[in-house]
Amino acid sequence: MKVKTTRFGELEVDKKDILNFKEGLLGFETLRKFFIVDPGDQTLILWLQSLDDGATAFPVIEPKVFAPQYAVKLLPAESASLSLESLNDASIYTILTIPQNITDMSANLKAPVIINNKTRESRQIVLQDSKLEVRYKMYMELKKYIVAYNSDDTRRTRVELDRELRVETTETVAPAVTEITPEKDPGLDM
Amino acid sequence: MVLVLLRLIMLVLTRKLGESIAIDDHIKIVVVQIKGKQVRLGIKAPKETKIHREEVYRAIQDQNTEASKSDLSGLGQLTDDLHKK
Repeated sequence: MKVKTTRFGELEVDKKDILNFKEGLLGFETLRKFFIVDPGDQTLILWLQSLDDGATAFPVIEPKVFAPQYAVKLLPAESASLSLESLNDASIYTILTIPQNITDMSANLKAPVIINNKTRESRQIVLQDSKLEVRYKMYMELKKYIVAYNSDDTRRTRVELDRELRVETTETVAPAVTEITPEKDPGLDM
Repeated sequence: MVLVLLRLIMLVLTRKLGESIAIDDHIKIVVVQIKGKQVRLGIKAPKETKIHREEVYRAIQDQNTEASKSDLSGLGQLTDDLHKK
């Protein structure tokens, strides 16, 4: 199906990649359907784009990129609400705030977005751990990761191989990301 | 919707130190300490009950709202900066 978005222009989204947020996101309870967009800008930042409202999208990133020690612990009722047997079947993203001064960018570790890769059921879950920050500054960690990633050829090759493998298994594993090739003008003359 | 209704019909109870309130069969809220303007509450609830200070929810709402306003043009600089050694 075709979806018009303000940031990425018109996108083609496969029905099976649509994520269902039964409760919406905090402050956005009426928006229930989203999909993930990769703008191809090599920042590792993806976008959680609303299907219902083309103007609403949240920049997200996998926390393992900037916080390898970060561990999500769900209550039994939370796993059950996502029909999750194990976190191995889940994708985890943190929502980013990117202010004018980008070195102040932060990720919400307290309330990650958790996606059941099998059913596409998704929720933003507020974790109980009171030490987790809603605005965890992570610019330096992200930069370090990207610089290391770009300067390590062996690693890059390996990652690309991984990525190919992942594409093959997309049908049964993670929801596919709607990719936008950098050459294509995303129609952003706002 | 439910939240709005709850707010409209708020039940107000007076409790003394050590007294408690039972909610359903499994939740109990006890006034543990009263000190000037502060009240310490103890909450007994099943493990799966989510309990958070309201500010936490508000902070997350604010963060979500702010995040939703990010646009791609700001990321151009980010891409450049992130790739600079």
